[in-house]
Amino acid sequence: MSELKQHDVSLTVNGKAETISVAPRASLADALRDTLGLTGTHIGCEHGVCGACTVLLDGKPVRSCLLFAVQAEGAVITTIEGIGDAQSPHPLQRAFNECHGLHCGFCTPGMIVTLSAFLKEHPQPTSDDVREAISGNLCMCTGYQNIVRSALRAAELIEGAKS
Amino acid sequence: MKLEFLAPQTLQDAVTMAKARGGAARFIAGGTDLIIQARKSGAWPEAVINLQQIPGFGEIKGTGPNFSLGSLVTHRQIEREIRFAGALEALRESACVIGGHQVRNVATVGGNLCNASPAADMVPILLCLNAEVALAGSEGRRVVPLANFIEGPRKTVRASDEVMTEIAFAAPAQKFSSTFLKGGRRRAMEISIVAMAGVVSASPDGKMTDVRLAMGAAGPKAIRLTEAEKFLEGKVLSKDVLEETGMLAAAAASPIDDVRASASFRRHLAGVYARRVVELSWNRISELNDDRSAA
Ligand SMILES: Cc1cc2nc3c(=O)[nH]c(=O)nc-3n(C[C@H](O)[C@H](O)[C@H](O)COP(=O)(O)OP(=O)(O)OC[C@H]3O[C@@H](n4cnc5c(N)ncnc54)[C@H](O)[C@@H]3O)c2cc1C
Ligand code: FES
Ligand code: FES
Repeated sequence: MSELKQHDVSLTVNGKAETISVAPRASLADALRDTLGLTGTHIGCEHGVCGACTVLLDGKPVRSCLLFAVQAEGAVITTIEGIGDAQSPHPLQRAFNECHGLHCGFCTPGMIVTLSAFLKEHPQPTSDDVREAISGNLCMCTGYQNIVRSALRAAELIEGAKS
Repeated sequence: MKLEFLAPQTLQDAVTMAKARGGAARFIAGGTDLIIQARKSGAWPEAVINLQQIPGFGEIKGTGPNFSLGSLVTHRQIEREIRFAGALEALRESACVIGGHQVRNVATVGGNLCNASPAADMVPILLCLNAEVALAGSEGRRVVPLANFIEGPRKTVRASDEVMTEIAFAAPAQKFSSTFLKGGRRRAMEISIVAMAGVVSASPDGKMTDVRLAMGAAGPKAIRLTEAEKFLEGKVLSKDVLEETGMLAAAAASPIDDVRASASFRRHLAGVYARRVVELSWNRISELNDDRSAA
């Protein structure tokens, strides 16, 4: 396997500086899951279609299955693990729980990561805004209604926390 | 299988690296076409040369009438570009339907043009704007009209060591507006069944002039609808004029049958979209000018 030249990639993941060694063909999704053990980022289609693998790259939602890990050199990455956890959930995570925004949960990390960036730019969205925001994320289970409701609820929670 | 990943810091290095590897290396920008194609076909290039670390190609420049898009400008940048709000709205309309947000945040305009899919959504409006693309390779620099750059499905005149550096165009001189419409089965994340862009100007005596229409996804490459354009010169908008425009557009289509739509439905849509694009663009000219006088 000596011909598989590994590359060192330095990046910040969920606030922590990391240097990982990856094969040139490894996707960022694989690197996050396999090298860093951050399995919250899900891989659905590996074709850029489903959005389950969405992470934030320098604050913007991107599909981690469509990036080589080596392309993330110097980048600041946020995965679902960096959005919040059971001890201190993000308002979106609370809202998804409250409003039944998930069934199987496969799409949920991608939905929440995508929506976290969206709510920063649109603190008071309409349901149409939310639908447009998640147009690149597929859900097989919920029929989307409760995802939209969750996003609107999260916006309320964030607004409420401010005052 | 080996894959070499190269990250040049200068244009010159990128060209030299590509030249040294003959046709075995591919440039990569956002990677949204390249990675999927390689993964689907299993045909990985021997090397990919990342263009993203080369400074200077990520900006939209110009204050009008002349503009240039760096080849690494993302669809996100174009859809949010305030300089294109108004008369050049079709640029934003084209960019904002490409993939979903996550794709637009990384996918580039240069990648869209170099990939040369017949359904590439940035192509029709850039054809209407008579865009020219700049290429830099081991033989030097050249500028090619976009219409000549794309030869057919996934075929361009670009040599394997040539990097597309920028895309330049000029806005029309008279009062004008533009529109882009895309037909797909759903609004987001859909490969166009038919894509239609138009730029329409108004002559001082209130007639349509310098009309430019381009259609994507209805043939092996996007084309200008020259017959319809000629027909519309000097016309006043009417039901009959639109009818004829639609017929000329449908006649110019050479669509295929595939899983997304039949050839006959594509031809039908070509007519419908040509009519709509002309009508909308014309109405937008007066809206834009009303806004200005009101302000
Ligand atoms: C889920 C999904 C949905 C999509 N939806 C749409 C859509 O609706 N409409 C649409 O038009 N496209 C769509 N695409 C295709 C794609 O996102 C666009 O074509 C995009 O603009 C490609 O840009 P990129 O930077 O990712 O290209 P890359 O994949 O990096 O490159 C594409 C090709 O161009 C070459 N290349 C790139 N930049 C340069 C350069 N500067 N100089 C020389 N060669 C270069 C590469 O070698 C490669 O052959 C979609 C893709 C995905 C994954
Ligand atoms: S796994 Fe990346 S978009 Fe589906
Ligand atoms: S909850 Fe199952 S895919 Fe969305």
